Order: sequence, then structure tokens, then C-alpha cells
Amino acid sequence: MAKVAQEMVKRSGVDLDQLVELLVKNAAAELTTYYYYTILRANLIGLEGEGIKEIAEAARIEDRNHFEALVPRIYELGGKLPENMKDFHDCSACPPASLPKDPTDVKAILKVLVEAERCAVRGYTNICNMTAGKDHRTYDLALSILNEEIEHESWFSEFLGEGPSGHFMRRGENSPFVSKFLK
Amino acid sequence: MKIFTKEELARYNGKNGAPAYVAYKGKVYDVSSSFHWSGGKHQVLHNAGEDLTDGFEKAPHGAELLEKFPMVGRLEDRS
Repeated sequence: MAKVAQEMVKRSGVDLDQLVELLVKNAAAELTTYYYYTILRANLIGLEGEGIKEIAEAARIEDRNHFEALVPRIYELGGKLPENMKDFHDCSACPPASLPKDPTDVKAILKVLVEAERCAVRGYTNICNMTAGKDHRTYDLALSILNEEIEHESWFSEFLGEGPSGHFMRRGENSPFVSKFLK
Repeated sequence: MKIFTKEELARYNGKNGAPAYVAYKGKVYDVSSSFHWSGGKHQVLHNAGEDLTDGFEKAPHGAELLEKFPMVGRLEDRS
């Protein structure tokens, strides 16, 4: 247990229990999103869907990476994951990214994807605001995840016709910001 | 339109089957149907049954997300 690390966080004025609970809820959101995106990706078919499949897959893999990166920090801070998977699912910080009623409606799938990313962007912004200048390690982690969530949002937003994302997609390598936490 | 005192509002805390109401800038909203207010808590930090006006500036979203929910009354102005 990282006793001194926990003490530093407490002394910085961050409510450790609240922070750990937020990290667990966001870890749940990442793993459940990974699961639901698997279903969404499988349904992105046809002339419209195939063009989006690649970014849905990149976002899916990176969300799983976010889960992997969050877990060590939760335990360092004295927290733990729920023992029951269903409890973990149900404590998610974001709603399930469920398949739309009409699974052939690619625009509806894109709306589910972009709303899931927007929930994540708000969640990690909140954690960054809470930890900035106080809990440096959690801030660094949350900021790295936030960078990737913002890119996911902009990819899906671009496909919805909301405007250009301003950057290219991944080129064969996932999690350019979070990968340092996975080594 | 119903006028809520702070004490009345506090009863709508989203716990034990109670609806989840929150106040913002004098208006009371019913957020019971929101996933983000499950169990009467929002993002661990905020509780239903309270006036959120002061803390709202720090929220990573605008008031439009709250204003989507039905307004069920006004919060009594004691100032």
C-alpha cells in the first residue's frame, strides 16, 4: 500500500475517499464501454458502417487501456474494485452505450458513441479539476485519458457532420497519451 | 408553481424511493430520471435535495443539461 502517496493526497486537501470512488466509477465506465463498443463495432456494417468501424475499434481498445491504467492508481490510493462484476457495471460513471433500437441506423450508433465520449470528457475534466496542483500522479493519469477521450469525441463528432476533428486518426498505434501508464 | 423551502427540498434526496430534486438559480428540477443522479448522487460529489447554484460554476458542463429536466417548482428566497 502506498501509504506516503495517500498521505500526500490527503494533505493536499483532496478528499481521498471521494477521489477513489470517482476513479472506480470511471474505471467501470471504461470497461463497460469497452464491452458495449464491441457490440456497436460489430453492427457497423455496410457502406456507411464500415467507414466508421476503424475509429470505433480504436476507441474501444483505448477505453480498455484506460481501465487498465486506472486500476493500479485505485489500489495505490487504498481503493479496490468491487468483487462482483454486476456491482461494477452498475456503479459506472456513464450510462450504458447500448445498441440503438434500429441497429442498421449508423447515425444513431454514432450518437451513442459521441455521447459516451462526452460523458467521459466531462468525467475526466472533473477529476483533473479536483486533482490539479494537488495529486500530481492522478492528475497526470486523468489528463492523459482526457486527451484520448477528447480525440474520440472529435472523431465521432466529425462523422456526425458537426465539424472537422482537426487531426488524423491513429496510425497503427493506440493510446499515444496513456501508453506510458501501461508499460 | 410549488415553492420549496430548503428543508422541503432536502426530503427529495433520491434515497429510499424518494424523487431526486435539485435547485439551481431559484428553480427546482426533477432529475429522478437521470442516470447521472442514480441513488441521489451525482459524480460522487453532489447530493440531490440541495441547492447546486454555488457549486455549478465548477461543473464540467453548462446549465442546459439540467434545464432538460422538468421544473417542478421554485426555491424559497430567504435573502
